[in-house]
Amino acid sequence: MASISGANVKRITVACEAGMGSSVMVAKQLAKKLKDQGVTVTHTPVNQLVAADQDVVLCHRGLGGRAKQALPDSVIVMFDMFLGDLKVAQMIHDIQTDGEITGD
Amino acid sequence: MSNFIPSGDGGHTGWRAAVQKLGGNLAGMVIPNIGAFIAWGLLTALFIPTGWIPNEGLAKMVGPMIINLLPILIGYTGGRLVHGQRGAVIAAVATVGVVVGTDIPMFLGAMIIGPLAAWVLKKIDAVLDPRTPVGFEMLIGNFSLGISGLLMAMLGYSGIGPVVKWLSEQLGAGVHALVSAGLLPLVSIIVEPAKILFLNNAINHGVLAPLGVIDSEKLGKSIMFMIETNPGPGLGILLAFWLAGPVALRGSAPGAIIIHFLGGIHEIYFPYVLMRPMVLLGAIAGGATGVATFMLLGSGLVATPSPGSIFAYMAVTPPGGHLVVLLGIALSAAVSFVVSWFILKTSKSTDDDLAAAQAKSRKLKTGAAE
Repeated sequence: MASISGANVKRITVACEAGMGSSVMVAKQLAKKLKDQGVTVTHTPVNQLVAADQDVVLCHRGLGGRAKQALPDSVIVMFDMFLGDLKVAQMIHDIQTDGEITGD
Repeated sequence: MSNFIPSGDGGHTGWRAAVQKLGGNLAGMVIPNIGAFIAWGLLTALFIPTGWIPNEGLAKMVGPMIINLLPILIGYTGGRLVHGQRGAVIAAVATVGVVVGTDIPMFLGAMIIGPLAAWVLKKIDAVLDPRTPVGFEMLIGNFSLGISGLLMAMLGYSGIGPVVKWLSEQLGAGVHALVSAGLLPLVSIIVEPAKILFLNNAINHGVLAPLGVIDSEKLGKSIMFMIETNPGPGLGILLAFWLAGPVALRGSAPGAIIIHFLGGIHEIYFPYVLMRPMVLLGAIAGGATGVATFMLLGSGLVATPSPGSIFAYMAVTPPGGHLVVLLGIALSAAVSFVVSWFILKTSKSTDDDLAAAQAKSRKLKTGAAE
């Protein structure tokens, strides 16, 4: 399982199907919460993920298979809910407190 | 980690990922161009003879936009996905061959020839690049694109165009047979579950919308745009989760309703359904109710409402159609709410409260969730 320590997370990419709808929404929320940590959050279609572009990929579990196929060695965090997801909350917490983030 | 939400297997790479990927590519060609579709839709709604403010001069833009501009944009975008700017350019050239070969909007044809032409050029570039002498890059680059673009346009004109036209006619005839037999609402049995598997864009932009534009160009409206995009079923489901869902989920439902119904991001309700798969019955019943209402009352939209928000719906509804469209959406929301509410009430089990308690304790532990 790929993992990374919270303090090393500087770039997060949120992936969704089109890269223009739900990922933008999640990215905006996330960027607001991680502003103080200096983390940049971008969004992209899951088909266009590039390994070098980010430290952590965030996507819905339903698209997780494709994200994993594209980036087998990256830290991919899969969430279940677009609002108030516990794993996303955990990840934010880990970044803020330098916890260990393990991909799915 | 999140075993409190058994929403399917994130590691799957089987058929679902493959279909999603194909659909993602189709949607990837269309979605970046939705703004152009909206421009065309508004133009149509306003200026055609049955529009709000008919204007013969301005209505002249309607035809060229749907027949030429939109397919070429789709082909261009498809080419760009495969082979960057050069792929985009050759794809646009090749798409013209498909477009002039027929008299219907050639979206499917553009989705085939665009990526194909770009792929061919990618192969050609791979052969020529290492052999190109210094200083000849531009000359060879321009002419390899120009010549292969010409050939691909010819292939599009004589090969792909006619085949796709025939295929579109068969698909369209199939759909119209469903409509005249009154069976169109049954399509919801396929569409609603497929949506939940994140095939929503593939179904709408890959299949239904291309059929819809053919109708819309001829008749000024099409029901095809309303099958996948109806925000009613999702609204009903979210309302049901708000009032009767697992306790841990109730809090997020009102926010999700706003994002779904007003913002048009349908993805937000999929996870709720994945958590209680029986609720799919509510989605299907609601979807079928909406389609039946639209079908019986002869409703249609002029363009695809994307994203599927109530505002987008109202914007692309032709004059005089608003009450029926609102009625269909309201009925589908009501039916999906009642069915989902019933399922949630009756399937309530003790593990719900357990899961909620677990979630709560984890929240307290991490102190990070809101």
